[in-house]
Amino acid sequence: MKRLAAVLGLVWCVANLVVAYWMLTGGILAKTAQHEGIVAQASLLLGGLLVAIFAGLLARQCLRMFAAPDEASGA
Amino acid sequence: MRGLLGLLVALVATAVTAALFMNIVGQAGVAQPWGNELDDNFIFVRALPAILATGVAYGLIGGWLYPRGAAARRGDGAVRRFSPATVLLHLLITIGFVIALPTGLWQYMGGILDVQGPLPVFMYYRIHYIGAAIILASVAAFVTYWWMTGDRSLVVAPREWPRYLRGLATEVHPMVRRWMVRLLRIDTAQSAGSSGTFTFYEKTFMFPGWAVAITLITVTGLLKLLRYAIPIPGTVVFVVSTLHVTAMVMLILLTLDHLRYYFARWPLVVAIFTGWLPPRRTAPRTAPSGAPAATGGDE
Repeated sequence: MKRLAAVLGLVWCVANLVVAYWMLTGGILAKTAQHEGIVAQASLLLGGLLVAIFAGLLARQCLRMFAAPDEASGA
Repeated sequence: MRGLLGLLVALVATAVTAALFMNIVGQAGVAQPWGNELDDNFIFVRALPAILATGVAYGLIGGWLYPRGAAARRGDGAVRRFSPATVLLHLLITIGFVIALPTGLWQYMGGILDVQGPLPVFMYYRIHYIGAAIILASVAAFVTYWWMTGDRSLVVAPREWPRYLRGLATEVHPMVRRWMVRLLRIDTAQSAGSSGTFTFYEKTFMFPGWAVAITLITVTGLLKLLRYAIPIPGTVVFVVSTLHVTAMVMLILLTLDHLRYYFARWPLVVAIFTGWLPPRRTAPRTAPSGAPAATGGDE
């Protein structure tokens, strides 16, 4: 069960890393600068960076849990 | 018997809401020549009172079936951490987020990236509204349930915050702790004491974070929706839409952090699905990599 949760967690991480990529690239698009302005660009860059960091932390936990289910999950 | 009656009342309330909803959908289909997207907005705004009422009904049933009681302990040593009502409502709101979050995200990112997804635009809105309806009903249910049971086990009293921040500092990563101690001038020499049923992290960061993000996304979502029922200035709609997206990003981050935190504490994952915190098999994990021993309660 823990390994299944770890795999699902990793899938969730990948989806969120894609979102982070969209946010980061969206933040530097010329179209965003023209239509949304600097605040929206900064928000997208900050949001994308934070999503990437949080997804990375979850991915690390999931990988630990997959490798050693009992040790990494406090059970 | 009470449980069966409660389930029956919940099913009747759901069926009545569904019938009302279908009636609104039927009227919208023949009365106005609007497009699918605008049609859905009107359907959702008209169904809103019924959705919230259903949530209140769920909360009342939960409060009636599972009033707050003394902490329960099973023969095998497992301790009750969540009531069945909390378990079910948590499941319900999770389903709502799983539906509403990706569709809401695509509505925003699709526009930024100027990409047409595999579905027509109105379908993303429609699915998003279904998820939002589930979230609204869940929020109404949770608030009603907590009001009925008087449970405040996840809330920190204002005078307790200094102690709870000291406790939080013991649970987070050393790097974050150093930053916290310096910025918030936390006196780490003093003991934080016990956090009670929930960990310091859950009570000082997780619950307040979710409460703020859910309140923000709910209020801004409702305001965005109400512009179809009452006139709202364009500037207000712009600010509200920006805050709605901000809340969405907060929820994405909180979901990632939620999973990370609980995957590292598997017994707490078991507890949110069963209501029971399994008996400890190993020595309790302490800060910073794990929460202190989470004791049982009846939330």
